[in-house]
Amino acid sequence: MSDELKPDELLDKIDFAPQKGAESDSVSGNWMNTSVQIRPGMYCYAAKAESVETLGLPNARPWNPLEDDWKLPDNWQEIIFNGLKERLEKFRTFKIFMDICVRCGACADKCHFFLGTGDPKNMPVLRAELLRSVYRNDFSTAGKILKKIPGGQALAGARPMTMDVLKEWWYYFFQCTECRRCSVFCPYGIDTAEITIMAREIFNLLGLNIDWIATPVSNCFKTGNHLGIQPHAFKDMLEFFVEDIEDVTGVDCTPQFQKKGADILFITPSGDVFADPGTYTCEGYMILFKYLKDKYGLDVTWSTYASEGGNFGFFTSHETMKRLNAKMYAEAKRLGVKWILGGECGHMWRVIHQYMDTMNGPADFMEEPVNPITGTKFENAKSTKMVHISEFTADLIKHGKLELDKSRNSNRIMTFHDSCNPSRGMGILDEPRYIIKNVCDHFYEMPPNTIREQTFCCGSGAGLNAGENMELRMAGALPRANAVKYVHEKFGVNTLGTICAIDRAALPTMCEYWVPEVEVYGITELVGNALILPGEKKRVEDLRFEPLPGCEEEVEEDE
Amino acid sequence: MHLKKELNKNKTVFVEKWFQATIDTYPAQTAKILGKDSNRFDNPIGSVTRESIENVFNLILKDYTQQTLEKELDPIIRIRAVQSFSASEAVSFVFALKEIGEKIIDASLIRKFDKLVDNIALAAFDKFMKCREEIFLLKATESKRRIHRAFERAGLVTELTEEDLIGSKKS
Repeated sequence: MSDELKPDELLDKIDFAPQKGAESDSVSGNWMNTSVQIRPGMYCYAAKAESVETLGLPNARPWNPLEDDWKLPDNWQEIIFNGLKERLEKFRTFKIFMDICVRCGACADKCHFFLGTGDPKNMPVLRAELLRSVYRNDFSTAGKILKKIPGGQALAGARPMTMDVLKEWWYYFFQCTECRRCSVFCPYGIDTAEITIMAREIFNLLGLNIDWIATPVSNCFKTGNHLGIQPHAFKDMLEFFVEDIEDVTGVDCTPQFQKKGADILFITPSGDVFADPGTYTCEGYMILFKYLKDKYGLDVTWSTYASEGGNFGFFTSHETMKRLNAKMYAEAKRLGVKWILGGECGHMWRVIHQYMDTMNGPADFMEEPVNPITGTKFENAKSTKMVHISEFTADLIKHGKLELDKSRNSNRIMTFHDSCNPSRGMGILDEPRYIIKNVCDHFYEMPPNTIREQTFCCGSGAGLNAGENMELRMAGALPRANAVKYVHEKFGVNTLGTICAIDRAALPTMCEYWVPEVEVYGITELVGNALILPGEKKRVEDLRFEPLPGCEEEVEEDE
Repeated sequence: MHLKKELNKNKTVFVEKWFQATIDTYPAQTAKILGKDSNRFDNPIGSVTRESIENVFNLILKDYTQQTLEKELDPIIRIRAVQSFSASEAVSFVFALKEIGEKIIDASLIRKFDKLVDNIALAAFDKFMKCREEIFLLKATESKRRIHRAFERAGLVTELTEEDLIGSKKS
C-alpha cells in the first residue's frame, strides 16, 4: 500500500470520478470539493427529540438528514469551534492525532467500510482528514498563516467549516464502527476511533445523534437498559428461560436477583435477555451459575437495576458514557458483592476495561477478583474488579472444574469471530478459543489476516445496527463474510461463534445475505449445551430445541 | 469462424480488460487499490470481482443457461447491490464487454457476440433485482423478529409462530 500511493497523491488528488461507466458530471475532482450525497440505506434515522431531551442534551427537535435544513442553532459554527477547542485542550490524544498523521496510507485499505463500500472517504486517513482539514484551517499555526496567502489554504490541506462539510462529517463518522483495525496498522498508533468519538461528541452538541443510539441511551438512563425493559419484565424474561431450560435439562435454574451479600454480581448486555440468538447465550449463563452453585456453592446474583452491560453512551459522549456506566459500581456497592462478572459483549468491555475505573472508580469497596473455585487471581481485573465470563469459564475448564459432554455440540463445525473490542481493546484472544475446543469437536480458524488483532468488524458496531442502513451494514460486513464463506466452503464450517451481543444480533443477518448456511452462536450457549448439570435428565435437544447429534429419531418420536 | 473458439483464444485479454473495466466503475483511487493482485482477504471486492468475471467467461465458452449465468454472476452482483450504484451502474460492467469485443472479435461475429453479452446483462439484471429484494427482506425480517418476539413473550400471540411470520422468506 504505502509503496504505491504517495502522500500527496493519497489525499490531495483523490479523484471521485470513475474512469468509465457512469458518465455523470456530478462527481469529479478533488475530494474536498465533492459534496456529500446522503444515500438511503447508508445512514441511520435522526434521533427522536424526546430521547435527546431525556439526558438534557442540546437542540432536541424533529429533523431529517435528507432535508436541506437540519434545524441547527444560528451559531452552530461557533458551537463546533468551541467544542473542538475544548476537546483539543482536554484530550491530549486528540490533539496529537490531529497533528501527527503523515498520510502514509498504511490504514487506507484496512477499514471494512472502505473495503466493502469502495468509497474513498471511508479510507480511515481520509475520514479523519474530513475533520483534520477544518482543524488546520481554524487551529494550526501553519494553517492560519497559509490561509492569508493566495492558494495557501489548499496547500495546507485546510478548508472552512460549512454546512456541506458538517453533512459530510455526519455521513462518514456514522460510517465508522470505532473498531480500531486501522490503528493496528498505523505506524504512529493514531486511533481513528477516538477521532470518530470526538466527531460524535460534536454532533451531540448540535442535536445530531442518530436514533439507534439516542433512544437506547434514553431508555438506559430511565430504566437501566437499552431496550427500556422494566424490572418486572426483565425478571419475567429470565423466568421464561428457566422454563425452557427445564424442558431441555430437567433442572430448575432459577436465578437470584438483587441478593445482598452474594459472592458475585453478574451483568450482561440486555440484548442477551431479549434478542435471539443472544437469549440462548443467556440460558447458557444460567446453566453455568446453577452448576457452580450446586457443585461449589458459588453465589451469583443478577440485578434488574444494573440490567445493562452495554453502553451506547460511549457512542454519544464521554459524559453520557459515564452516567450510564455508574450503575455497575453503585449496584455492586449496594449489594456488597466481592467482584463483578460480565457477560459476552463487545463495546461494554472497552468501557469497562479502559474507562470505568478512572471514570466511576476507584471500586475499592470490592476485593481484587479471585476465582473462589480455582484460586486464580484475575490480575488484569485488579483495578476494575470486573472479570469477563470467557476468562472465568476458561479458568474453570483449565482446572477441570466443569464436567462437559462435548459430543452434544459435535454437529457444530465452528469458527470464531473475534469481536473488535474484546480482542483489540482488551486482548481476549485465546480464552474463547480454549472454551470452544473444550466444548466442541470441530474448530477451524479463519485466515490469519482476518482474526485476532486483525479481526474484521461485523459492520454494525458503535450504534450502527439499525435496519434502515442495511446496505451499509452488509457492505461493511463483506470482509468478515468473505472469510466466513472461505472456511464454510473449505472445511464445511456451519457455526460462527462470537462473544459479543451486537455480533449475535448483526451476524445472523450478515450470514443470511452472504453465507446463508452458517448460524451464529454465543460461546456460553455452547457451554450450556455441553455442561452436565447434577441431576439432569437425558438430554435429547439443545437449547434451541434442535435434536442433539444422534437423538434425531428420539425427538421425532416424542413429537 | 466460431465465436466460442474466438473467445477462448482471446480469453486472457478479455478477462483482464473486463476486470479492469469493471473496477474502473469505482472512483479512481479505489480502483487502484482494487486492481492490486493482493491477498483475497485484504481485497475482497477486487478478488471476488476477478474470480466472478473469470467464472462467467469460462461459462460462456460452454453451454450456459440463464440459471448458470446468474449463479456465476452472483458474487459480483451481490457486492454491487449493496454499494452506492444505481441499478444501471451496478450492471453496466457487463456492457463493457461489447466495447472490448469490438476491438478483438472478427466483425462477422459481432452480432452474435452482442447477443451473448445481452444474455449476460439480462441475467445480471435478474440477479441484481433478487439481491435487492433480499436486502429489503432482511430489513423486514429483522424488524418482524424483534417485534414478534416481544409480543410472543408477553403472551399476546399464541397461534402465530415466528416461522409462520417470516415463512415468506423461504418461498
